[in-house]
Amino acid sequence: MTAEIGYAMTAVALGLALYGSAACAIGARTNRPVLIQSAQHAAIGTFVLIVAAMLLLVYAFLTFDFSVRYVAINTNRGTPFYYRITALWGALEGSIILWSAMLSLYTLLIIVRYRSRQAEFYPWVLSVMLGILTFFLLVMTIPAPPFERLAPIPPDGRGLNPLLEDTGMITHPVALYLGFTGFTVPFAFAMAALITGRTGDEWMRVTRRWTIVAWYFLSLGLLIGGWWSYHVLGWGGYWAWDPVENAAFMPWLTGTAFLHSVMIQERRHILKLWNLTLIILTFGLTIFGTFLTRSGILSSVHSFTQGSIGAFFLGFIALVLLGAFGLVAARGDRLRAEGKLDSIVSRESAFLLNNLFLVAAAFTVFFGTIFPLLSEAIRGVKVSVGAPFFNLVNIPIFLALIFLMGVGPLIAWRRASRDNLRRNFLAPVGAGILAAGVFRLLGVANALALTCLSLVVFVAATIVLDFYRATGARLRTGERLLPAMGGLLMRQNRRYGGFVVHLGILVVALGVTGSQAWSIQTETTLRRGEALQIGQYNVRFDGLAASEESNHFKVTGTFTVANNGRALAVMTPAKKFYPQEQTPIAAVDYLMGLREDLYLVLGDFARDGSQATVKVQLNRFVTLIWIGGFILTLGAALAILPEPRKT
Amino acid sequence: MRRAALALALLLPVLAWGAPPPGAVNEETVRQIAAQLRCVVCQNLSVADSPSEMANQMRGIIRERLQGGDTPDQVMAYFVEKYGEWILLSPRPRGFNLLVWTLPFAGIGGGLLVILMLTRRWSRRTRERPVAEPVDPATRERIRREMTELGQ
Repeated sequence: MTAEIGYAMTAVALGLALYGSAACAIGARTNRPVLIQSAQHAAIGTFVLIVAAMLLLVYAFLTFDFSVRYVAINTNRGTPFYYRITALWGALEGSIILWSAMLSLYTLLIIVRYRSRQAEFYPWVLSVMLGILTFFLLVMTIPAPPFERLAPIPPDGRGLNPLLEDTGMITHPVALYLGFTGFTVPFAFAMAALITGRTGDEWMRVTRRWTIVAWYFLSLGLLIGGWWSYHVLGWGGYWAWDPVENAAFMPWLTGTAFLHSVMIQERRHILKLWNLTLIILTFGLTIFGTFLTRSGILSSVHSFTQGSIGAFFLGFIALVLLGAFGLVAARGDRLRAEGKLDSIVSRESAFLLNNLFLVAAAFTVFFGTIFPLLSEAIRGVKVSVGAPFFNLVNIPIFLALIFLMGVGPLIAWRRASRDNLRRNFLAPVGAGILAAGVFRLLGVANALALTCLSLVVFVAATIVLDFYRATGARLRTGERLLPAMGGLLMRQNRRYGGFVVHLGILVVALGVTGSQAWSIQTETTLRRGEALQIGQYNVRFDGLAASEESNHFKVTGTFTVANNGRALAVMTPAKKFYPQEQTPIAAVDYLMGLREDLYLVLGDFARDGSQATVKVQLNRFVTLIWIGGFILTLGAALAILPEPRKT
Repeated sequence: MRRAALALALLLPVLAWGAPPPGAVNEETVRQIAAQLRCVVCQNLSVADSPSEMANQMRGIIRERLQGGDTPDQVMAYFVEKYGEWILLSPRPRGFNLLVWTLPFAGIGGGLLVILMLTRRWSRRTRERPVAEPVDPATRERIRREMTELGQ
């Protein structure tokens, strides 16, 4: 029965969303508020139905209702309670429900916030959002129904992909999807602006904070994804340039470009066309990402399902791009900007370059990700485009971006005078060069690491300098130090939120540089009682233990670790054997530190426990990535706060 | 230093007349080669990173081949012959593959050119039209007077 009820709910939700989208458009066109009102009700109904369908599916998971095919595939009687809930988004069908739920939540928020404001944009925004929701509900009814019935009902299910049995999988998809769907809001406003012909800066001002919300969640999703990769996948890395990661990274890059370039339009009223292009691309990439990761077109860690929904998604992407750029073309006359620029040495130029490099990075990731498909289609030869390629091509781009991160916020608008340049950049550039020298003397030989360190110090110096001066100005008005600093953050939260984000990125950059340049690893087979030495650590193998868990069999190694002869810890990396998986899953154990993580992966072992292979890594400075990520999200949160009214 | 070690690692077997002592292969060389190869059973990990048994065996093959006197290039060629170009994590920069290597940089170059042209055209437009009307002396005098009044 569950399957039928659930299916009926999604089908009705589809009808409501479709109706609402059309009613809004007609209501706006013919100026009939009744229709818009009715569309509003339809949108609320859609939200309620989707949430109800999602809860029904959760209920089916919790009660092991194997008459629902999706439940039978993604859980079994051994799956722990906790993961029976998150199994909801363990595969394509459930992910689409999650996506729809998030999107309808945003739609609801739009209704709550704008139903009596933004009278011109509102009906069109609602119409566009419901239109996009219609597509996802269509996917849920035709090619990938989560409520498909399974007959006969099997006694037990297959089970969740063991890699997803992790706390990271509770938060990662939610954050990521809140980010993806969040970009629908600025996109919908952009479309509304084009449809109504009010192509000024208003749509951008209204959606500024929405965009940062989306960016915040997307960043958080990426970070949690990296964390998950680091502590679950057992290879000691946080980013593999896997197509799935790339799929989430591309809209992040173009979204970041958009966040920056809107500032130029707000200030100088140029780049209208470019900003529209960026938000269309960003939104298109969020859909493309889902297509890439969930259609099974590329095989990768996250593509657990192979489906026939590729055509649906490609069709929708084509529709979105044609429709959106068609509108842009139709409004071309209003978008031709009175481009005005005073000098090439100006903040405008710095932002243009920032946009160029961010989009170039997005393009590199995009082209690299789809290139294997191109090669196979055109040459008939399968090739791989992996980490060595992406690292090589992207590193210069990212270094340029870090440099611009220092230049952009401090260089003057319009025309930077020689005095402005000297005042803002002489000291930071000096600090950067000095840092390079100091690190060189400290023994850093890697040229890339030196360049990155030097740039990080340069950018950090610009931020500190600006904050120092601004605080100084407030102190002179008689404020005390802490209120002055707090007031600066709160009253100019947009600017200083941005600076905090930049600081976070710098810390992440240090972590990435450090881990790439100085991590070491070794892999050895040890007999019981035998030890290996890595850095100042001594790792001794003390034996194996086997245990029967609720849904798998586990072999745990015991390793006693000493630091410079002092006993430090007993570490227990393990291997988990799931009946539904052919190969065992590694459960790593690690000791985290600010400077380095000691990271143990259990390899092969003798059945009698007399010997085992272990991979030991000293991952340097990886912790900085998590700290930097945390700082970054704090900064984004600060920038989301409403700007205090200017009096 | 690394290169010297590599040369030494490659020379040793020759010096020992084809009977290499175990452990003569530089593990760093093995790792560098392994980092360029795709683990054939994994989703998207290199042979160097993958914790899988298959990757372990492949690292063993790299070690053996190096010990047998192969150069790193020959080791890579061996894997390409066995599994096809797909095994290489970064496509060899030749023929059609040149596209993926050059297009991003061509894009950046083109973009720079566009930005340069636009900024030049836009700044010329600004120069032709002064941003603000010059303030006439009478108004300027009034502003000055009112400012001083405000200051008192």
